[in-house]
Amino acid sequence: MIVTPKIFARLAAIAVIAVLLQLSFFSRVELLHTSADILPLVVVALGLLGGSMTGAVAGFWIGFLVDCLLIAPLGGSSLVLLSAGYLAGLFRERFEIHSSLLPPLLCMVLTLFAELGFAAVQLMLGVDAPVSTLIVRDMLLKSIYAFFLAWPIYYGLRRVLRPALVEESRVTRRQPTVLGA
Amino acid sequence: MYRKQVRRRRAVLTLLIIGSFLLLTITYGQSSGGLQRGVSTIFSPLQTVADRALKPARDLVGWFDKTFDARGENSRLKAELVKTRRQAVAGQEALQENAQLRKLVKLDRNPVLAESAYEPVSGRVIARSPTVWHSAVTIDAGSDDGVRVDDPVISGDGLVGLIASAQGGSAQVTLITDHASAVSAKVLPGGVQGVIRPEVGDPEDLILDFIDSTKDVHGGQAVVTSGWRAQGYASLFPPGLPVGEVTSASIVEQEASQQVHLRPYADLANLDIVQVLTGGSRQ
Repeated sequence: MIVTPKIFARLAAIAVIAVLLQLSFFSRVELLHTSADILPLVVVALGLLGGSMTGAVAGFWIGFLVDCLLIAPLGGSSLVLLSAGYLAGLFRERFEIHSSLLPPLLCMVLTLFAELGFAAVQLMLGVDAPVSTLIVRDMLLKSIYAFFLAWPIYYGLRRVLRPALVEESRVTRRQPTVLGA
Repeated sequence: MYRKQVRRRRAVLTLLIIGSFLLLTITYGQSSGGLQRGVSTIFSPLQTVADRALKPARDLVGWFDKTFDARGENSRLKAELVKTRRQAVAGQEALQENAQLRKLVKLDRNPVLAESAYEPVSGRVIARSPTVWHSAVTIDAGSDDGVRVDDPVISGDGLVGLIASAQGGSAQVTLITDHASAVSAKVLPGGVQGVIRPEVGDPEDLILDFIDSTKDVHGGQAVVTSGWRAQGYASLFPPGLPVGEVTSASIVEQEASQQVHLRPYADLANLDIVQVLTGGSRQ
């Protein structure tokens, strides 16, 4: 990804909008008693579009913003989301994404990874109450929701960040006219 | 060139990971820092706007969720509901708000609160935490309205939680379903005392722990805050606030673990308008 000041502003706007949407909308609507978590999804999508550095940095700052707004211990969400973003970026750098099904699948898997990460961080910090087995259902449903939400979010973000994407600009560049062909 | 890129990438990643651990180490177990309060103050108006703008969409999704739950209804009624969906979504917002405010007014007249020095301040939920590990909501009433840290928070149905942090126009509420929450309570009638703790991951189940196993507790009994006061220390909650209803109280569990299960009265998953009981420490 070619990060110009304009693209940087777009990335910052994406992060803020994603956090506001999550806290004001997605966290407050439940389907089958579980709410969707779009933050890992956005971070993974940014990692897939921009590479490991974009994913990791976006994950760190999105996590930081969430923890700030919820007055939660800083660093926990950042650690998990930067890992998810980095892994998504690493995948993009190592492998070609041929199928349109692959980004949503990756979003699903890495959302599950992030949910396990949140659980691990929380358990590491200490949980003073018994943990219900329903938490497993919550994690699985969140990752399934991520699969379906990944379609609009991943392709929407790709559209917004199109000018910065190396592959996209190469594809959209006008081919030279071959005279006599 | 490639090696340099890889080295730079690894350096940034290491820096971010170290930064995260440093932040965790510095802020864990501390009350909210100036940075967090500052960011929260800046974003509070944005959150309020987003909350208002997204309310119809939330209601729409909520409507779908409730309809899915009520699949036992007959097909004719369902078809009728689909027809009136648009009208219902528009009217639902006003009706919900009305009902909640009516309940709150009724709760104001609760003799327990009327006799106490608490001054209720109403607030609307504008944000909610995305994970069940950290069960908290943000409300649009803050220190400017007299809200202080550790003030109890109630809804029209019962106890909701405690103020964890307050800024100018907003405050964060730790719900009773958060793993760090503990509320001293008693069962009515009988007065069996215990401490209410959550079961992380299941917001509809609370545990009344450390109860006297020789006394009988059975399903359907109400649980209210006990509001103790001893040796200069006092509970953060006033006595008599309704918390929940005992759902499961097996003799084996009571005798072996000294605990029973209860369901909170407050609909913690769909909180909208709440009341902060301010001025408790001035009692």
